[in-house]
Amino acid sequence: MVHICPRVEVFCDPMNSTCIVKTENLTKIYASSRIKVAALQNVNLSFSAGAFIGITGSSGSGKSTLMNLLGGLDTPTSGTITVEGKLISRLKKDELARYRRVQVGMIFQSFNLISSYSALENVAFPLLFAGVGKKQRQEQARVMLEKVGLAPRRDHRPTELSGGEQQRVAIARALINQPKMLLADEPTGNLDSKTSVAIVQLLAELNAQQNITVVMISHEEALLGQYSQRIISLHDGQVAEQV
Amino acid sequence: MRFSDYVSQSFTNLRKKKLRTFLTAFGVVIGIGALVSMLSFGKGVQKNITDQFVELDLFSYISVYSGTNARMEQAPHRPPVLTQQSKEPKIITDEIIHQISQMDGVEFVFPEVRFPASLRFREEDSFTLIQVLPTETCQSGLMKLRAGAPYADDDANSVIISDTMLRRLEVTDMESVIGETIEVATVNFNLNRFLAENVLSQNPPERLPFSSDSYAFTIVGVAERMGFGGPMPLRSEVYIPPGPAAKMKKISMVSIWDFFQPAGSEQGYTVINIKLSSVKYVDPVKTQVEQMGFETFALIDQLEEIKKGFLFMDMFLIAVGMIAIVVASLGIINTMVMSIMERYKEIGIMKAVGASDSDVKRIFFFEAGVIGFLGGVFGLGLGFSVSMIINRVVNFFLARQGVPHIDYFSYPWWLCLGAITFAVLVSLAAGIYPTLRAAGVDPVIALRQD
Repeated sequence: MVHICPRVEVFCDPMNSTCIVKTENLTKIYASSRIKVAALQNVNLSFSAGAFIGITGSSGSGKSTLMNLLGGLDTPTSGTITVEGKLISRLKKDELARYRRVQVGMIFQSFNLISSYSALENVAFPLLFAGVGKKQRQEQARVMLEKVGLAPRRDHRPTELSGGEQQRVAIARALINQPKMLLADEPTGNLDSKTSVAIVQLLAELNAQQNITVVMISHEEALLGQYSQRIISLHDGQVAEQV
Repeated sequence: MRFSDYVSQSFTNLRKKKLRTFLTAFGVVIGIGALVSMLSFGKGVQKNITDQFVELDLFSYISVYSGTNARMEQAPHRPPVLTQQSKEPKIITDEIIHQISQMDGVEFVFPEVRFPASLRFREEDSFTLIQVLPTETCQSGLMKLRAGAPYADDDANSVIISDTMLRRLEVTDMESVIGETIEVATVNFNLNRFLAENVLSQNPPERLPFSSDSYAFTIVGVAERMGFGGPMPLRSEVYIPPGPAAKMKKISMVSIWDFFQPAGSEQGYTVINIKLSSVKYVDPVKTQVEQMGFETFALIDQLEEIKKGFLFMDMFLIAVGMIAIVVASLGIINTMVMSIMERYKEIGIMKAVGASDSDVKRIFFFEAGVIGFLGGVFGLGLGFSVSMIINRVVNFFLARQGVPHIDYFSYPWWLCLGAITFAVLVSLAAGIYPTLRAAGVDPVIALRQD
């Protein structure tokens, strides 16, 4: 049974030290030579540390754009993103890389594992860029695989693993640098319902036991409703509803 | 990322595409192999020439030519650089030789006297030019002997013969000829053939206007033939001392132009060679000789020209080798771009888990560097192996013609080290565009790819 900490304040006062994420008028416009598409428009959000946030919305509503901006993979056209008091929307490329390496972990619908690497090598991969030695990398990856219940499968390649197992490997990889926030972009999109529940349960456990802030995108509102403390609904790049 | 991780990551990634890595690196191997063998050939030739110049002490020789006249300027053996020219041709006489030999720093002076003769040895005949060489020159170390010793004095009835000539006379055991007798037949013009009474006679004395005289000499030494030609004091296959040479009936000649010397003109030497005790005497002795109205040539004056010639040769060889390198670097660019396209999503993953643009750049740079390093090492090996084979084959065939063994290729340490460094640098340069492209990959787009 998943234990969710009920005391976590999902809406936070931006001045409060427990506030982990805050966006102000966050706007992302994709511009080509002919047209401009506003993927996000003036989004204002704030999450407390240790919250489990669900984000939902129809296709093209701006969910993944928001996730990419929060994950430091993309930069906003205007507005600001503050994570743990740091204005990441103004960081330089190298500083953003460090942010992605240290402060945030990401998992994706298509797992995004390196097919030629074993589960252990995939999990250890982010440590390579943190300058951790090979032995230590392998040891930490082994421990992390044990945590997600995949110790016996550590030498298997992604193609030799089921979808659920691959997503567990991706979760282990996202957590290897012990980030404070985990961003999950439709992590159950490629999984059957049973496996989907198991994966979301795992995320909820990590959220509850290790106080990791989880931000999860999903179309499955029922699943989000079961585990999230707050659900943000996006529509045409704007926050339509917060529950 | 740690340095060791970049290296191991590069090897891991390259191992994943073994065939492509092999083919790309092989392009570098060929390029470096070609460049290295070309350069080592250039260096080998330079080393052989300069080493022999130094070993034979050729820089302390000056050649002196009789003054300006048309035939001298066109003489085939004549070096191209002329010094101050005088209007009247000057004749080099024994008196002149004596004067020069009294100058400071002059060890000895000898005229370059050569004459055509036919050799007969062990029933074999050969035609050659015999050079008259004083004993002190013969003993000076200018001549390298394979067997026997220099002749004892200027009056000895001795001959030194080159190994090349002996081979032409079907002799293989060079030691065995020492002490044996060789017959030397000189050739003379016999103008009596054209006298009216002989032309009209029923029994003309000779069919051709030549007469021949035979002389017997004892072989005392076998000289090693130099591996190169050029303006040298020794330019024959057979050497005899001045004593017996003076008693022989012969046509003295240095070049074909000697045949056209006006009849009745004052006799003298066309060329004399001066051996100095040190290179430092070259300039003062040259000046004095030129003031006497003669023209001079010193090899040391040509050193800068020789160096310039070597530089041009190097540049040419490098240019030829560079063609292969340019082709190889195109191969590297192609391979790297292909690799980046294939690993587009992987680059996105790298960035998503915290790799900076610099990390991505370095990963691909190291891969290019590893290709270059492997190509450099194996290219050096290939160049070395090929040049060794060529060296052996060429020496095998030239040995039959009497040319001593020469290493035509030289591999100084800087060439080996430079080849590998150059291969790495070329590969890194070829990797600049692909790495910039890799670093510029947008992770959002890359992660969306299937």
